[in-house]
Amino acid sequence: MMAGFNAIVPMACVAAAAVAAMIAEAFSVPGERMPIAPLGGIGLTGAALASAALWNHNASSFGVVSADNFALFVTGVLVVVGLLSLALSGPTIDREHLPRGEYYALMLFALAGMMLMASATDLLVIFLALEVLSIAVYVLTGIRRDSPASTEAAFKYFLLGAFSSAFFLYGIAFVYGLTGSTRLDRIASVVASQGASPLTLVAVGLLLVGFAFKVSVVPFHMWTPDAYQGAPPAVTGFMSTGVKAAAFAAFVRVFLSALQPLHASWAAVLWPVAAATMIIGTVVGVAQNNVKRMLAYSSIAHGGYLLLALLSGNDYGKGAVLFYLLTYAVTNLGAFGVIGLLEDAERPNDTVADYAGLWHDHPALAAVMTVFMLSLGGFPPTAGFIAKWYVFSAAIKAGYTWLAIVGVLTSVVSVFFYLRIVVMMYMTPAGESIARFPSVPKVAGAALIASAVLIFYLGILPARVLDWAAASIGTIF
Amino acid sequence: MHFPILSSLIAVPIVGAILLLFVRDEEHSEKTIRAIALIVSGLVFLETLLLWSRFDASSAEFQFVERHDWIPSFGISYLLGVDGISLLLVVLTGFLTPLALLGSWESVHKRVKAFSICILLLESAMIGVFLSIDLFLFYVFWDAMLVPMYFLIGIWGYERRIYAAVKFLLYTMAGSVLMLLAILGLAYLQSVATGAYSFDLVKLYDLSIAPRTQVWFFLAFALAFAIKVPLFPFHTWLPDAHVEAPTAGSVILAGVLLKMGTYGLVRFALPLFPVAAALFAPVLATLAVVGIIYGALVAMVQPDMKKLVAYSSVSHLGFVVLGITAMNMQGVQGAVYQMLSHGISTGGLFLIVGMLSDRRHTRLIAEYGGLKKVTPRLVAVFLIVTLASIGLPGLNGFVGEFLILLGVFRWNPRMAAFAATGVILSATYMLWMFQRVNYGPVTSEKNARLVDLRTREWLVIAPIVALAILMGVLPNFFLRPIGPAVQRMLSHVEQGSAPQRIEAER
Repeated sequence: MMAGFNAIVPMACVAAAAVAAMIAEAFSVPGERMPIAPLGGIGLTGAALASAALWNHNASSFGVVSADNFALFVTGVLVVVGLLSLALSGPTIDREHLPRGEYYALMLFALAGMMLMASATDLLVIFLALEVLSIAVYVLTGIRRDSPASTEAAFKYFLLGAFSSAFFLYGIAFVYGLTGSTRLDRIASVVASQGASPLTLVAVGLLLVGFAFKVSVVPFHMWTPDAYQGAPPAVTGFMSTGVKAAAFAAFVRVFLSALQPLHASWAAVLWPVAAATMIIGTVVGVAQNNVKRMLAYSSIAHGGYLLLALLSGNDYGKGAVLFYLLTYAVTNLGAFGVIGLLEDAERPNDTVADYAGLWHDHPALAAVMTVFMLSLGGFPPTAGFIAKWYVFSAAIKAGYTWLAIVGVLTSVVSVFFYLRIVVMMYMTPAGESIARFPSVPKVAGAALIASAVLIFYLGILPARVLDWAAASIGTIF
Repeated sequence: MHFPILSSLIAVPIVGAILLLFVRDEEHSEKTIRAIALIVSGLVFLETLLLWSRFDASSAEFQFVERHDWIPSFGISYLLGVDGISLLLVVLTGFLTPLALLGSWESVHKRVKAFSICILLLESAMIGVFLSIDLFLFYVFWDAMLVPMYFLIGIWGYERRIYAAVKFLLYTMAGSVLMLLAILGLAYLQSVATGAYSFDLVKLYDLSIAPRTQVWFFLAFALAFAIKVPLFPFHTWLPDAHVEAPTAGSVILAGVLLKMGTYGLVRFALPLFPVAAALFAPVLATLAVVGIIYGALVAMVQPDMKKLVAYSSVSHLGFVVLGITAMNMQGVQGAVYQMLSHGISTGGLFLIVGMLSDRRHTRLIAEYGGLKKVTPRLVAVFLIVTLASIGLPGLNGFVGEFLILLGVFRWNPRMAAFAATGVILSATYMLWMFQRVNYGPVTSEKNARLVDLRTREWLVIAPIVALAILMGVLPNFFLRPIGPAVQRMLSHVEQGSAPQRIEAER
């Protein structure tokens, strides 16, 4: 009997921590500081332990949530995202006087939604999870209520996000109308026997639009730079990695299992999208002077690489999505963590010029930022290199040679803008610079170091994690 | 289990760099930092000598092979080995790095710790490039090497350093990413043919690839290497990088980094894709000859000594590529020899230019004149290194160029004739520069009181002079280990191209 609940234990841990966070905040005496972030840490650790225990067991609950290895791997990525985000949020919360309890609770609820999204095997549950995480993230984006930029970002994100959710829901309705089910396995068998009718293609198109919004690929990427710039950096780091991981997990699950029989049809649409995403993400990224916007376009470009892996559709491609999500999560969270530390009460300090001479003021921070930039740019021996290599080998194997060429060339272009930051930090003397922050808080510093170490670990000794990724895809496809 | 000497060659500089991290970067610890870096790189050099002494010169196979699984699911292994082609390049790297460090004691005072760390990491990556015989591992080192070099140029360089650093990095990377795709493609073909992915070079040598595919792969590899060499018309990053880099950067760039391009051609592009190599050899050779003459002509009109030496590198490396494309024993052996001797003589030239610019803070030829009277010893070593670079018989440059011309003549006499004009031109621009700098009256007041070679500078330049003479007088000592490996490579190319060529003609 109890075994029926096994599959939801990881997300239940996180949700419980979220509830605990809210209660703790509600019952705290004004002025008292409750250790809320550690509560979240406990919940996430619980989720990690539960995932480890469930590994290889293929548990499923209620027929709509499946804790297969694929879901568990993504859950693991989300745990990493969660832990790093919790650790890196502290300075922002203190500086901006954000409501501590709400902030952490929202983050944890979003994480629970993300985990559900990665594990759901029913389109409706996927939609439910999508809404849970989206609404929490909308609020987090606008949590600096008195900041116009933040509010604008949240509003934009919310409107476009709601719009895309509607597309997605409409797509589900079509699928249900055609196949009589929202369960992925049943959809797969019906689709396989029916083939590609015009209506099926409409349904696939609508689902595609919904996913494309969430993972922000061209031409549905417009919200990304504004939302990333307006949200507090810690939140940006969280949503750029967590939302992407969850949405891509569901994307892979729906398109490579339920809609796999239609691969030829949707691949024809998706490959120009992937090419455009890689090109526009990098080319527009070159023109940015704001680091957050630059990383927003970089995030779009990375979405393109992930799409390339998904398109390839072979074992390598699926494994590549998983490995890439982990790498990208660790790297991007670290980068936004550094951006968050550089903010001060008066100014966001987020233009490229603000980084001038950082090496002289704070060599350690400049060093970890360099590691993150090199990993985003795909230099060995960092994780970014292995991730890109994995994607490109999948693409080559699947015969997408031209897309792979676009991929490697755009990654060279992207190196240009990642290096702009490095040039600023190391090779440009500091101007009449902003009042530098006094010191890095211990927890945030530890999180940054942990990210950097993880990046090198994944870059130098990736074999074990690659094997896990390979084992994860074996369970569902 | 014997001592993993190749791994230790890669690891020792990294350990040294980590050690340096724990030294405080302050004024008074500058000496400690320099001493540690110098000792570590000296240790590496001794190790390379040990490697040479234990190397079996009669064998053509890879020696001291170390193999460990790295990413087994993709057939990627940590696979190191050394043969006659790479052995001396490793020794050259070990030789030049301490000299580069020692040579920059006067000129680098800013952030000495980071500087030394960059040089050591660079050394490790360079040695890794020469030692890896797993294509994936090779690419990792190949790309990783760019980062420390980028910092060296960008932080410790001259006025336009940022431009030069970014240009260097983007150019090199743009070339190499396509090579990455070709490597992936190769491994994929290997998996189709044998059922398992592999990046093991020795296995890939035996893979038979359709001529059409070979052409694409060869072009991707050749582009990466041509940019690195640099072959005309991909050379435009080189003068910028050389001129803006600090002395140590220039020495390593000219001495070792450029050789990676030609090394890559010999090690990878030719034997992996013999049919395509035979097809494109005339194209590469033509570009090489154009580079030889163009580099020499442009060098002639440079007002800046460093830029002159940089363009002379374009010209000299053209010889190396030409020798490789001849694809016969003399040509390739001469090319490998010329790689070494160019590393020695051009490294020496950059060190001497660095010494002059340490004294006068300018590299313009017009600012000098009549140094012979002021600093006779410096001028004496300058002369030897200049003559070595020109290729005077009895010094190192002659042997390589002679062998190359011999080999090329056997293959294509017209090419050899054109290339030979490069020898004459190189004498013109080098001697003219030497004359303007060192002879005649002392034109500038500032030059009248320059100090002659100091002890430290003797230590830097004496080994180079000694080696230049040694390599000129006893070429066989250096040629002996090169021969068998080149022979093996050539016979491999012949085997690979012969049957398929017939097939293609049918």
